[in-house]
Amino acid sequence: MSASSKPSSTVHQLFMEPISSFAFNGDLSQLVVSNSTPHTHIMQLGKDKKFTTKEVLEQHLERVTSVDWAPRSNRIVTCAGDRNAYVWNYQEDTGYWKPCLVLLRINRAATYVQWSPNEDRFAVGSGARLLSICYFDPEHNWWVSKHIKKPIRSTILCVDWHPSNHLIAIGSCDFKCRVFCAALKELGDKPQTSNWMPKLNKFGTLLAEFDTTNSGWVHGVGFSPSGEQLAWVAHDASVNVVNSASLTKVHTILTPSLPYSCLLWMSEMSFVAAGFGYCPDLYTVSAQGVSFTAKLDVKKEKSGGGEMSAMARFQKLDVQGQTGNAGTTVTTTHENCITEIRAMARDASGTVTKFATAGKDGRLVTWDMESLSAALGGLSL
Amino acid sequence: MAATLKPYLNAVRHTLEAAMCLENFYSQRVERHLKPEVEMRSSKEVLFAPLEICRNDREKVLIEGSINSLRMSIAIKQADEIEKILCHKFMRFMMMRAENFFILRRKPLEGYDISFLITNYHTEQMYKHKLIDFIMEFMTEIDKEISEMKLCLNGRGRVCAVEYLKMFSPTVEWNVSEE
Repeated sequence: MSASSKPSSTVHQLFMEPISSFAFNGDLSQLVVSNSTPHTHIMQLGKDKKFTTKEVLEQHLERVTSVDWAPRSNRIVTCAGDRNAYVWNYQEDTGYWKPCLVLLRINRAATYVQWSPNEDRFAVGSGARLLSICYFDPEHNWWVSKHIKKPIRSTILCVDWHPSNHLIAIGSCDFKCRVFCAALKELGDKPQTSNWMPKLNKFGTLLAEFDTTNSGWVHGVGFSPSGEQLAWVAHDASVNVVNSASLTKVHTILTPSLPYSCLLWMSEMSFVAAGFGYCPDLYTVSAQGVSFTAKLDVKKEKSGGGEMSAMARFQKLDVQGQTGNAGTTVTTTHENCITEIRAMARDASGTVTKFATAGKDGRLVTWDMESLSAALGGLSL
Repeated sequence: MAATLKPYLNAVRHTLEAAMCLENFYSQRVERHLKPEVEMRSSKEVLFAPLEICRNDREKVLIEGSINSLRMSIAIKQADEIEKILCHKFMRFMMMRAENFFILRRKPLEGYDISFLITNYHTEQMYKHKLIDFIMEFMTEIDKEISEMKLCLNGRGRVCAVEYLKMFSPTVEWNVSEE
């Protein structure tokens, strides 16, 4: 019965500015966060279960658009609108993070960055309409990049690596979701053929291209834990899933609420999408297609509202200068768009049991699937 | 006539809710630039098709959206010359103080009386639902305000005319007024 006593969501108000991106370290004790400034904050979880800033990484000149933490090799990568990205290595002796140069060779802003599953490379999407795959060059002690340009026609908004470490999916503003081969000879990759790549291809080959039904910018893309399925969410309020076994059959569902901007696979059969509706929603995938399962924001109903007494009306007019009701209010935990969603803890089978969302209201909210499941009367992931 | 008001405002509100899903977007054309795409109009793929919601041929709203900004222009009902002048002066008064309004545009679009420019900065600093409430209240109140001003104007005009023409009335004695 301890599950029901745990709160289903915990709110951390980290900043007043919007959080554009965040990532946890390996043991969830630290957090790297970019609020919409050129600075990146490393935050430590204290004894009082609150996050406090431990260090501020100052190297960028424009807004930091995306961050990622490689949990096993303990490296942080940040990218910003100043066309740069830096890899930060932790110095054991001083306790500070030291930046390492990344030669991105892009001439527009970087928009999204993600470490690959093996943490030997990372991908940076940019407004220069190209994807940079960066790997370490030990000779010069910097990170060099190889570009994937064709046939991307617009800014890349999101990127996701396949678990095999040599395939990558991107979503961009030209309304398409694409899968590329990112196998690097330089790092000695020996890719296997799979459903996504039936014959061996070289770096930068387009393996699959998917459209959005009503021309929406693709805000979020994600491979399922096995890599067999690919899901993407777009600005036309669509949620799309495709299975690599049948690449022509794309399952689409239109959400009645506002579009999503990010998604996270909980297990092979379900994922959570969150975005402009301020609330994470759970979707289930089956052979028939994708379907909406539940809204995960089980906040208590706002009590009161409805009719106001005459006394209350006069008081309101006297103190606040407002007549009648106050207008619309938000009933969700997040008060502004959710920008990033990350898994925190998984159970033995790999299903996500705890995840975190961060939004433009400067809040980081951690959601506990056990309590949510109990509150919603049982959810099967 | 009042029957068309509610669906008109509902349509505008729902369109604003959908169009105000804005996010930070660095320019694709110029490096290090971060400008409202609806004003720059440099990349066609990040712009929405403009939507015009008309209540009748004189009252309409044009909503142009993009990935990081939204431009909303309102054409206010002006039945006669006096309302035209009042509306023009009132809007000009507000637009000259556009800095204090944050979301107001200094110049309205061609064919409209007032324009709002809402960028992702505004939705980051202010609540989106409150912004929409403000715009909807603005649209509802503006007609009332202009009618009130017109009534006041007519009232004052009448008082002035009566006082002046009293001098020429044959039945009243010629005396200096006390005001």
